[in-house]
Amino acid sequence: MEVPAVRVEGLEKDYGKVRALKGISFQIGEGEIFGLIGPNGAGKSTTLKILATLLRPTAGKAEVFGRDVVEEAGKVREMISYLPEEAGAYKNLTGREYLEFMAKLYAKGGRDADEMLELGVELSGLGERLDDKVSTYSKGMTRRLLLARALMVKPKLAILDEPASGLDIINAYTIRKTIKALSASEGVTFLISSHNMLEVEYLCHRVALISGGRIVEVGTPAELKERYEAENLEEVFMRAVGLEGGQK
Amino acid sequence: MSDFWVLFAKELKNLLRDKKLIFGLVIVPLLIYPALGKGMGIGIEKARGETHVAIANFDSGDYGSLLIRALNSSPNVTVTLVEAGDVEAALERASSLKQNVLVVIPPGFSESIAENRSATVYVYGIFSSLGTGMKESVSEGRINAIIQALSRGIAEIKVKKLGFSEPSALLSPIQARSLSYVRGRLVNVSPSVVSAILASQSVTLPIVVFLMVTLTAQIAAGAIASEKENKTLETLLTLPVKRTTIVASKIGGTAVMGLIAALTYTFGMRSYIGSSFGGSNVSLGDLGIRITPQGILLFGVVVFLTVAFALSLAMLLAIFSEDVQSANTVVSSVILPLAFPSFILMYTDLSSLPKAAAYALLSDPFTHPIVAYQWMLAGEYARIAWSIGYLSVAALVLLYLTARAFSGEKILTAKMGWGRRRR
Ligand SMILES: Nc1ncnc2c1ncn2[C@@H]1O[C@H](COP(=O)(O)OP(=O)(O)OP(=O)(O)O)[C@@H](O)[C@H]1O
Ligand SMILES: [Mg+2]
Repeated sequence: MEVPAVRVEGLEKDYGKVRALKGISFQIGEGEIFGLIGPNGAGKSTTLKILATLLRPTAGKAEVFGRDVVEEAGKVREMISYLPEEAGAYKNLTGREYLEFMAKLYAKGGRDADEMLELGVELSGLGERLDDKVSTYSKGMTRRLLLARALMVKPKLAILDEPASGLDIINAYTIRKTIKALSASEGVTFLISSHNMLEVEYLCHRVALISGGRIVEVGTPAELKERYEAENLEEVFMRAVGLEGGQK
Repeated sequence: MSDFWVLFAKELKNLLRDKKLIFGLVIVPLLIYPALGKGMGIGIEKARGETHVAIANFDSGDYGSLLIRALNSSPNVTVTLVEAGDVEAALERASSLKQNVLVVIPPGFSESIAENRSATVYVYGIFSSLGTGMKESVSEGRINAIIQALSRGIAEIKVKKLGFSEPSALLSPIQARSLSYVRGRLVNVSPSVVSAILASQSVTLPIVVFLMVTLTAQIAAGAIASEKENKTLETLLTLPVKRTTIVASKIGGTAVMGLIAALTYTFGMRSYIGSSFGGSNVSLGDLGIRITPQGILLFGVVVFLTVAFALSLAMLLAIFSEDVQSANTVVSSVILPLAFPSFILMYTDLSSLPKAAAYALLSDPFTHPIVAYQWMLAGEYARIAWSIGYLSVAALVLLYLTARAFSGEKILTAKMGWGRRRR
C-alpha cells in the first residue's frame, strides 16, 4: 500500500491542565488538499504544530510520509513547509533578502535557490516593495511574503494555518489559485486550517471537522453537505458542532 | 554556503542594522567616552593655565620686594600689585580684579627675616564661583612652591654666611631616593608611579569586561527573544536545519558583536582615562613586565570563554522569556549580580584575601578575566590554564543546557513574564 502523506492516530495533547487534543485520527493522501475546520480553540493549530514538529504529542502518533514527527523530526522538516497562524519576518531585512535567506536554506540536493527565489518574488506579488524593509510592510503584505516563502520551496507537504487571514479578496483569490495549481502540477500535498468556509469548499478535496479536541466528521465537501442536508459548508459546520438544529 | 553561514549572515545583517545596538556599540564608546574624557581634560588644563596673583605689600624692607620679584619671574604666574589700607580692602580689590589668589606680605616681614626670626606670608584663595575649586587649589600649590623655594634660597644664603660650604646638605641632612622592586627586579621608578600605572590598569579592565559581558548578554538574549516577539521563531524551528546549527549561528553572530564591543570599549576607555588623568610615560615594559604572545593568547582564551559563558546563560534565560523586555529584565537581574564581584578586584588582590573568599570569588566566572590578566602580567601561566579549564566546563555545561532547551518545545510554550504582570 502507498504511504499516506499524513497519518495521525489517536493524537492527544495537553498544555499543562488544558486538554487541547483528545485523540484525533485522520489520513491525507499524497497530492490531496485537506482542510481542517472548527470553532476557535478546537485544536486546529495544535494539530498543525505537532505535524510541523514544533510540539510533541502527549499520546498517539503522527507521521509525514511514513516518518515520525518526533523520532525523525529532521527528516520531516526536509519535506514540509509550515506557515504559522501568527507570524512575522525579520524586520531589518528587505522582503527580497528574506526570501533569499529562506531559499538558500531549502536549496539542497541540487535544487536551485535562484529558481525558488524567482517563484517567491512572483508569488509575493510585492513588486518593487520587495526591496523595502519588512518593518515597513502592512499586515497583509507581510502575510503575502510569508505565504510566498512557504510555497516557493514546493515542499512535499505544505502546512498552512489560516493562510488567507488578513488578505484582501483579490489576494486571497490569487492564493487559492496558486495552491490549486501547485497541487495539480507539482503534486504538493496541503494541510490547511481555515475559518473561511467558502475558501474550504472551493479549495479542499477533503475536510475534517474538529471540535473540542475531537474530529467530528471527515469527508469531501459534497459528502458532508449531503450528510447534513445542508446548502453549504457553513450550515454543515453549525449543525455538526450542534449550534443549530438540523436533520440528522 | 552551509546552513551555518546562511544563518550567521542573517544574524549579522539583522544586528548590524539595529540602530540602537550600533549606538551602544560604536557611538557611546568611540565618541561619548572620549568626549567625556576630553571634557575633564579641558577642566584640568584650564586649572593648570595662568595663575593670577594679587599682592598686597605692607612691608617696607628688601625681602618683601624679593618675594614679589620671585613670583613675578615664575612661569604661568601673573602678578598684580594692589594698593590697599588693610587686608579686607585688599581682598575686595583682588576679588573685583578676578584674581585667584591674594598674597599678603605683613608689616615687619623683612625685619623678622633679617633678625633670624620666622616670618609669615598670608596666601588667600579667592573663590568667586563655587565650581570645581580645582583652579584655586592649583594656584595655591604654585604660590606655596614659590614661597618654599624662596624660603630655602634665603636659608641657604644665611647658612653660607655662617661659613658652611655646602648649605643644602645642612638644610636637608636626609635625602630620600625612591626605587621599586617589582617581582624580583629592581627598577628605577618610584613606588607611587608604579602604583599609579597598576591602578589605572586595574580600573580599566574590570569596567571593560563588565561592559562587554553585560552588553553581549543583552544582545544574546535579544537574538532569541526577538524571534519570539516578532513571531519568526516558529518558522525558524521548522526549517530543514539542525537546531544546534541555529544556536551556533546565534552565538556566532552575538560573539562578533561582543568582539566589536571589546575593541570599541577598550579603545574608548583608553582615550577616556588617557585624556582625563594624563598618561604617565612609564610603560609596563619599563617595570620589567614582559607580556609574551603566549600570555596574550591564554588571556584571550579566558576572555573568550567568559563571553561564551555569559552568552549561553543569557540565551538560556531568554528561551524561557516571553519577549525582549522580560528577557532583558531577567538577564540583567542574573548577570549583574554575577558581574559585580569582579569590581572587588579593583581594590584588593586575590592573594591578599582569605582562601575561602578567594575561591568564592573565583567560582564566579566573571572574575576570571581580571585575575587572569594579573596572572598574565606575573607570567603564572599554569594558573591561567586552570582558569581555562574551569571556564570551559562552565561554558560547555551551559551551552549543552541551552542547546537542549532549544530542541524541546518549552521554547515555544514557556511564556515567563519574569515578574511582570501579564496583560
Ligand atoms: N501555549 C498554550 N498554552 C496553554 N494552552 C494552549 C496553548 N496553545 C493553545 N492552548 C489551548 O489549546 C486549545 C486549542 O488551541 P488551538 O490554538 O489549537 O485552537 P485553534 O483551533 O487553532 O483555534 P483558533 O481558531 O482560535 O485559532 C485551546 O483551548 C487553547 O486555549
Ligand atoms: Mg488556530
